[in-house]
Amino acid sequence: MDTLADSEIRIYRALPGTDTGTDADPVQTEIVRHSLNSAANQMKRTLIRTSFSPVIYEVLDFAAALYDTKVRLLAQAPSIPLFMGTLNFCVEAAVEGSGGVDNLEPGDVILYNWPFGTGSHAQDTAMIQPVFTDDGTLVGYSAIKAHWLDIGAIAPYCTDTKDVFQEGTFFPGVKLYRGGKLVDDIHRFVLANSRMPAFVAGDILAQATAVSIGARNLVRIVDRYGLEVFRNTVERIFDHGEATVRSYFEKIPDGRYVGHGMMDNNGVDDKPIPFNVIVEVRGSSVRVDFTNSPEVQPGPVNCPVASTVSASRVAITMLAGGNQAPCDGHFRPVEIVTRRNSMFDPNPPAPCFLYGWPAMQSMEVIYHAMSKVNPETVPACSGGDLCALVWWGTRQDTGEMWGDGSPFPVGHGGSISGDGSTMMHAAEAATRFASMEVMESKFPWVVEQCQFVQDSCGAGKYRGGMGYDLGFELLEDAYCTPTLERTRTRPWGLAGGGEARANSGTLRYPDGRVEAFTKATGLPVPKGAVLTIHAGGGGGYGPPEQRASEEVEADLKEGYITEAFAREHYGNL
Amino acid sequence: MSSRIGVDIGGTFTDLIFFNEDDGSVLVDKVPTTPAAPEIGCVDAINSAVAPDLLRSSSYFLHGTTVGLNALLERKGSVVGFLTTSGFRDVLEIRKGSREEWYNVFWVPDAPLVPRRRRIEVRERMLSSGEALEPLIAEDVIDAVKALREQGVTAIAVSFLNAYMNPAHEIEAEKLIREAGFDGAVSLSHRVSGEYRDYERSSTTVIDAYVRGRLSNYMEHIESRLRAGGFDGTCLITRSGSGSMTFTEAAERPFETIMSGPVAGVEGAAELARTLGLGDIISADVGGTSFDTALIRDGRPQLLYEGSVLGMPLQTPWVDVRSIGAGGGSIAYVDVGGLLQVGPQSAGAEPGPACYGRGGAHATVTDAAFYLGMLASGNLASGIRLDRGKSEAALKPLADRLGYDLTQTAEGIITIAVAAMANAIREITVEQGFDPREMKLLPFGGAGPMLATELARELDMREIIIPPCAGNFSALGLLTSDLLQSAALTRPMPLNDESLSQANDILEGLFKDLKSRGSAGVNGTDTQLEVALDLRYTGQEHSINVQPDADDGMITAAADDVQNRFEATYREAYGGILDTLIEIVSVRASVRRPLSGSMDFTGTESIATSGSTDSVRAYSFIHREYSEFPVMERSQLSGDKQRKGPAIIIEPTTTTYVDADCRYTVDAGGCLRINLEET
Repeated sequence: MDTLADSEIRIYRALPGTDTGTDADPVQTEIVRHSLNSAANQMKRTLIRTSFSPVIYEVLDFAAALYDTKVRLLAQAPSIPLFMGTLNFCVEAAVEGSGGVDNLEPGDVILYNWPFGTGSHAQDTAMIQPVFTDDGTLVGYSAIKAHWLDIGAIAPYCTDTKDVFQEGTFFPGVKLYRGGKLVDDIHRFVLANSRMPAFVAGDILAQATAVSIGARNLVRIVDRYGLEVFRNTVERIFDHGEATVRSYFEKIPDGRYVGHGMMDNNGVDDKPIPFNVIVEVRGSSVRVDFTNSPEVQPGPVNCPVASTVSASRVAITMLAGGNQAPCDGHFRPVEIVTRRNSMFDPNPPAPCFLYGWPAMQSMEVIYHAMSKVNPETVPACSGGDLCALVWWGTRQDTGEMWGDGSPFPVGHGGSISGDGSTMMHAAEAATRFASMEVMESKFPWVVEQCQFVQDSCGAGKYRGGMGYDLGFELLEDAYCTPTLERTRTRPWGLAGGGEARANSGTLRYPDGRVEAFTKATGLPVPKGAVLTIHAGGGGGYGPPEQRASEEVEADLKEGYITEAFAREHYGNL
Repeated sequence: MSSRIGVDIGGTFTDLIFFNEDDGSVLVDKVPTTPAAPEIGCVDAINSAVAPDLLRSSSYFLHGTTVGLNALLERKGSVVGFLTTSGFRDVLEIRKGSREEWYNVFWVPDAPLVPRRRRIEVRERMLSSGEALEPLIAEDVIDAVKALREQGVTAIAVSFLNAYMNPAHEIEAEKLIREAGFDGAVSLSHRVSGEYRDYERSSTTVIDAYVRGRLSNYMEHIESRLRAGGFDGTCLITRSGSGSMTFTEAAERPFETIMSGPVAGVEGAAELARTLGLGDIISADVGGTSFDTALIRDGRPQLLYEGSVLGMPLQTPWVDVRSIGAGGGSIAYVDVGGLLQVGPQSAGAEPGPACYGRGGAHATVTDAAFYLGMLASGNLASGIRLDRGKSEAALKPLADRLGYDLTQTAEGIITIAVAAMANAIREITVEQGFDPREMKLLPFGGAGPMLATELARELDMREIIIPPCAGNFSALGLLTSDLLQSAALTRPMPLNDESLSQANDILEGLFKDLKSRGSAGVNGTDTQLEVALDLRYTGQEHSINVQPDADDGMITAAADDVQNRFEATYREAYGGILDTLIEIVSVRASVRRPLSGSMDFTGTESIATSGSTDSVRAYSFIHREYSEFPVMERSQLSGDKQRKGPAIIIEPTTTTYVDADCRYTVDAGGCLRINLEET
């Protein structure tokens, strides 16, 4: 990746193509492309099969990817899209931290989790294995960044940290495996810093196994075709991805499109944080400009630049990538500009535990900008959050610690292709949430409800997806870290469509008192209290008066909307 | 006397196979499927191929069908009403919140099978301990039935939270539904599955209610027509989770048959592996539109305990067959970035590949193969004579865009299709920690034997086994399936001797339940009771399936033995073990009964074709040039010595391509064995 920097402004671009002087064969190229994606998938499946933590095998909170020697993305397995194209920063930083390329040996695995290199919080720990062929030639890197349950911070999940050193233990590029052998000193040191060492130990093993599967497959592919042919086909793969994205932007009129959004607060003080992102289309290229971003924040909603870059890439690729698995070539037409020491490019030691929240909002704001090109380009706004909860406590009878966490779905916006639905935010598209029955069997609570709330959708020719209420009644005292965002900005409609309900949270105490919550670290939830997430709906698309009357009738019959809502938005029935 | 008739209904063709136990002979037929009423096509195929006296003396009719799947695909099932616990009306619509297309911001899930107006809440609540927090309110059920009847509901699915722990409220609800005068089908979640996960169990229950009417009518039609023809044996249908069940039981548990199509071939492959002692094999079933692959270890296909169909989960045993959209009819094209792509779009049977001459204009895998000479003279069993000019015309525009000649283009199409299949096999093997190089490849289906040597080469596999009747192997597989019933119950508890004794109580109940199902009266031999436990480390979600020592359906192993077995399995899968308590999650029981009589198809003689055996000019992938390939009749090769490739081997329903670097022979079991030379 190219970084053009002056004192204030930084520009990020994927490396341009290299002319190899030979045209790679289009059949071999397709086979190599497919094989690289398959290799990344095998890394992913190995990790899912062998990991210990639900956050990895159920929530799929990881990224698995292969890079070439210039640290260009060859292939990434579908997992959390927000991690798309984010590992190059950390591969570069990890290699540098561990002594540079010349210091790498076959069988090394580097551990790295410095947030300003990974783009994530400390828990998202990367393992990077340099890949060598049998004759000792470095041909690339196999890398996985995965969420470890705990690596030491002031709480298992934090919403109010004031600097990064309250957020975990850091590994600045240290060799966890040297020449294929586990470095025991490092391993013990890692486990000593976790509240849940057994899980972390299991996940380390799984992650190391999975990167080695990636390495083995990359060697196989290189050996199968020879290094020179491999390199030529890789250039062609990148060109192919680039052409796909360019063909999309060629059709978009040149212009400067401004998207607006707002974060609720920074987790420490309660002031809203408005921001904008400028999307500038010129020919077949697009520039995503964050230079107007707010100042670096005193609370943990700073987004290290690696995630600002990947949020931009995922937002663009989900529109323009032809539904293909992305590679570095897809990123070439996309330029990202940031301002140093701003919310979207903070310097250490800015707190950044909730980096994913501004990243997610920036995706919505990029789509807001794209909607100004033409509202048909994107869906209306979603609930815009993961509505995530992390919970823990001590079991009354056994004294054992229990805990877990989960993201939850939100309503999605209507679009030119139809009504919206209710599912996970696009930034976490691969994620699922746990079954009610499984949760009840493991945790001391009774799920009170999980159901749609009438009128929570945005009205429109195509209405938004429904918001819903999910409530837990605690049977024992517990703690919860809710991380609700977008409670102050309702999901917007497009092309005349209406706004939807925003997210919110309430805690109903046993004495009947009800208090609202948004973000809080270790909120005590006493026995008998009911904790409810009121997940937002999706915005509507198109003028509500254009909604077909039979669709309005159906919405009434299904109970999605009330008659009052129908009268207000759709007129006389 | 145990002659068997097998009919496998596919999307394009209905395959029939008849095994005559008297003389070991096999009869094969292939007729077009009649999509509007496949039951009529099925009976017609039997009447035209099997003589009345043979039908009368047959013991078993075994059937594989996609009729349940099609009802779901086309949304032509019953009008279902859904009763659920108050507060959980939208579980079917919120699902797990996941997306199928991760890089497409416009993706939305399909609407649930039951729209919201027919999902009705009733007041009741069970806890995960099995205690009732709130009783079932009878009037809620009565009101719901009334409302559902007004909406023309013909089947009711009931799924209450935690019914896997205590089904009392579901049973009470069923009684109330009947008392209210509803006489349509009622599906209760705890009867469908005793396992936890409310969305998955509800989804399964709704699918059960949705397909039941269609499948019952279908089976009734077939059975009554067979009976009218004098058939006096047992009618069986394959299960998604391997084995077969009687029509009677399938009418009670139709959701167990949804994937009955692709499973039959895998069953046949497993039977072959057991009979011939082939060790670990990978099946590669290549049809017109899809490539289905499965791993067979120790003579059994890998079993999952959850499947998925059209994005809907099914909580039932499920043979782990992976499908990708690559087959003989897959269409090749050059994409916007200038790369050659193959599939997943398929030309299907109509219009079919360009060379079929039925109006297909796109180049397909079959066109490429035929152009390269891999299909010899191109006389297919179904009477189609392939048209070379049409293949060339379809390949030409692709060649022009790629700057290739026609041979390079055709080779490219085959290579890309094969690479996609090889990647699917790598993924299914690596997922379970195996190396395909140490396994054998078992290709079948219309296009499997054609691509086998290239596929094996791509995977560095050395041994290929092409089974008898390879083109109809799925139907043959039907004939080999055992009667199989299974049931499971989720009961999380720590692993110790006491909980094992509780597991035995659970097993007793499960076996009792299995005996009350509709397959119980069937004569089989050698009933085997199989017992398994899902175990996990406390705190983990995923479990490992372990078979403890058991006798007559009761666990005899002590907790220490079970723990050792769990740890051994865990170590094999994950490379290490944990110092954490182990718990039992679910208890599983199955009853397996091999059908009476013998079914040894390994001596099956191949049937002669009417095709020409003049040699043809065909392309060698290893030498990258054309040469003369002798054309051999498979039926002439039996008991033969080892020969050197190249060759094209023809039989009525498929064609095998053997490249120049291979040796081949037909073994005593009737299998065509191909060995690739070490490179």
